[in-house]
Amino acid sequence: MLSLLQKTGRAGFKILQRPMSRVFSPGHSPLDQLGSLSIFFCWIVLVSGIWLLIFFHTSVSGAFESLEYLTHQQWYLGGIMRSLHRYASDALIVTVLLHIAKEFSFDRYRQSRWFSWVTGMPLIWMIFPLGITGYWLVWDELAHYTAITSAELMDAIPIFTGSMAANFLSDSVLSDRFFTLMAFLHLIGLPIFLVFGIWLHLFRISRPVISPPRTLMSGTLLAMLVLALVFPAESQDKANLSQATQSINLDWFYLHTYPLVRAWSPGWVWTMLVGITGLIVMAPWLPPGRKQEPAIVDLENCNGCRRCADDCPYGAIDMRPRSDGKSYTEEAVVVADLCVSCGICVGACPTASPFRTRSDLVPGIDLPALSAATLREKIKSASYKDDHTSRILTFCCEGNRVGKQLQSAGEAVIYVACMGQIPPSYLDYALSRGYADGIVLTACADGGCRFRFGADWTAQRVMRTRDPHLRKRIDNRKIAMIWRDKNIAPQQMSRHLQKLRASVDSVVRHGDAE
Amino acid sequence: MRILGQMVFYALFVVVVGVFSAWPVLRVLGNDEAIVSVSFSLAGERIGTCRKFTQEELNELAPNMRRPADCPRERHPVRVEISANKKILYSATLPPSGLWSDGESIAYQRIVIAAGEYDLSMNLDNTGSDSTFRYSQSAHVTIAPGRNFVIRFDQLSKRFVFE
Repeated sequence: MLSLLQKTGRAGFKILQRPMSRVFSPGHSPLDQLGSLSIFFCWIVLVSGIWLLIFFHTSVSGAFESLEYLTHQQWYLGGIMRSLHRYASDALIVTVLLHIAKEFSFDRYRQSRWFSWVTGMPLIWMIFPLGITGYWLVWDELAHYTAITSAELMDAIPIFTGSMAANFLSDSVLSDRFFTLMAFLHLIGLPIFLVFGIWLHLFRISRPVISPPRTLMSGTLLAMLVLALVFPAESQDKANLSQATQSINLDWFYLHTYPLVRAWSPGWVWTMLVGITGLIVMAPWLPPGRKQEPAIVDLENCNGCRRCADDCPYGAIDMRPRSDGKSYTEEAVVVADLCVSCGICVGACPTASPFRTRSDLVPGIDLPALSAATLREKIKSASYKDDHTSRILTFCCEGNRVGKQLQSAGEAVIYVACMGQIPPSYLDYALSRGYADGIVLTACADGGCRFRFGADWTAQRVMRTRDPHLRKRIDNRKIAMIWRDKNIAPQQMSRHLQKLRASVDSVVRHGDAE
Repeated sequence: MRILGQMVFYALFVVVVGVFSAWPVLRVLGNDEAIVSVSFSLAGERIGTCRKFTQEELNELAPNMRRPADCPRERHPVRVEISANKKILYSATLPPSGLWSDGESIAYQRIVIAAGEYDLSMNLDNTGSDSTFRYSQSAHVTIAPGRNFVIRFDQLSKRFVFE
C-alpha cells in the first residue's frame, strides 16, 4: 500500500517536474525548494504581520474596524500587507503539504531521516492553529464561524470543563480579554514554538537550505504582490453573534476540516486528525523497511583527513581524537543511527583508489553493501556489446530508471547507492586502464535524488572544483553527467549515447592530449 | 521564453492560492433556516444529604480524619427537554463534570430549525428524578431566518431565558 502511494506520488512529481525543469534552472525549480520556500513564506507572513500589528486593535469593537481601515483607507500599504499576510500563509500550506508528499514519495523519511520527518509533524500542528487564530482576530462572519467551530472542537476534548463554545453565542458574553488571548497565541505563543520547531526540524540536517535562490524568491514575492493588488484580501461582514452564519467564503487551505465538524461530529474529526497524525509519525517504521548496513571505518587506512565528515549530508561522521596511536590527530567515526548508507563518504575518501595493487583495496571508509573492492571488480568485468565503436560504461544510482532502460538495451550498467559514492579515481581507472572508452553518470535530477548532494559533489569532482579531483589526464568529454543536462529526457538516452560515442570516438581519434 | 514559462508557473500558483483562499463558498444554513442554541451550566443536587457519624464510626477513623458528618460530593445529572410545537427539539441527560462527578452539568447544543413561530416547552430537572421535572416553562416565540436563538437557564432566577 505504502509502495503504491509512493509510486503514484513519484509519478505525479515527475509530471510536475518535467515542465518546470524546462523553465527553471537546475535546482531552482520550486519543487526542489519546497522546504526553503516554506520558510520564505514564513518571512513574508512575519514582516507583513508586524505591519498589521502596528494598526491592529485587540478588542471586540476595534479589531474589525482597524482591519477595515488597513484594507480600505491604507490599501496601498496596509491592504497589500494584509493580502500578503493571508496569501503567504495559504501558500505556506501548499508548499508544506507538497514538501511532505515529496519526501514521502521519494522515500526520504526512513532510517536516520525519521527525526526530521517526525519533528515536522508538530510544525503542522502549529501552522494550522496559527492560521486559524489569525482568522479569529479579523472578527468578521468567517471569524464567528471559525470561533464557534474551533470552540466546539475544543469542547470535545474531555479534559476541559465548561463549554468554550458558549462564549460565542451572544455579544454580552464576549469580552476584550478573548482578543488579548488570541493575540497572544497568534503573535507570540505559537510563533515562538514554531521557530523552535523549525530549528529542531533542521537540527540533524547538514547544510540545510533555508533560503530559496534569489530568482525564485523575487519571482514568488512579485507573484504574491500581483495577487494582493488584483484580488485584495477583505473581511466579510462584521461578526454578529445574534445572527447565525449562513454562507461564508471559507479559506480551504486552513479550514478544510471545519465543515466536517458539523457533518460528522467534533469527536470524529479529532479521531481522523489524530489517526492521520499517528500514521504519518509512525510511517518511518512501517514496512517495507530497508535498513542497510552503515558505512564502516578502517583505521588502518583512515588518515583523519575529514573529507568524509565534510561531505556527509547527514552529519553521520564524527571526527574524534585518534585512538590507535598513529600520528594522525583525528579518526572518522560513523554514527550508525544517522548513517543512511549512501556511500557519499566513500566517494570523498582519497584512500578509495582502485589503482592500489600492493595491498587489498580497503579504503579508510567503505560501504559494506557495495565495497570499493567490489566496485572495482564490477568495472573490470563490465561486458559490452560488440556492435558499438566505443564502449560506454554507465554508473547509475539505485532507483534511477535510466539505468534499467540502458541495461535492457544491452549497455553496461553499474549500480551504486548514490552517484556521490563513486570516487573520481574510479572514473580515471575505468578509462585509463581501458575498461571503458566513455562513461555515463546518471543521477536523479532536480531534487529527485534519494540522498542529498551526492550528484553535486560528483559533478564538482569531475569538473575538478571539489576535492578529491578527477585527474587532469582524463578528458572530460569522455564523461557525460546526464542529470546536469536538463534537456535530456530518459526517453532520449539512446540518442544521447550516440552523441557521446561520437564525442568519445573523436577524442580517441585526435588523441587525449587535445 | 524561459521567463515566459516561469511567469505562467507563478500565475498558476497564485491563481490556485487566490481561488481556494475564499472559494468555493460554504453554505452553512439555508435561507429559511435558523439556529437554536441551548447553552447553560447548572449543578445538579447532591446525590444524598449529610449523615452524622456515630461515635463508633468516629472511633474507627484516624484522629486527623475525624469529621462530624459524611457528605457525598457527587451530584445528580441534569435532565433537560426542550420541545418546539410539541416536537422534541433537544433532550439530554447531562452528567456532572469533574473527576468526582461533583461539578456543574454543561449543556451546549446547536440545532438547525426552520424559521417561523414556535410554541416552546422547556423542562429541566436536577434532582435525579426520572419522571418529573423540577422546572417547567412555556413560551411562544418567533424565530427569524438566519437568527441565532439562544436558550439559557438562568441560575439565579431559575428560569429559561432567551437571547
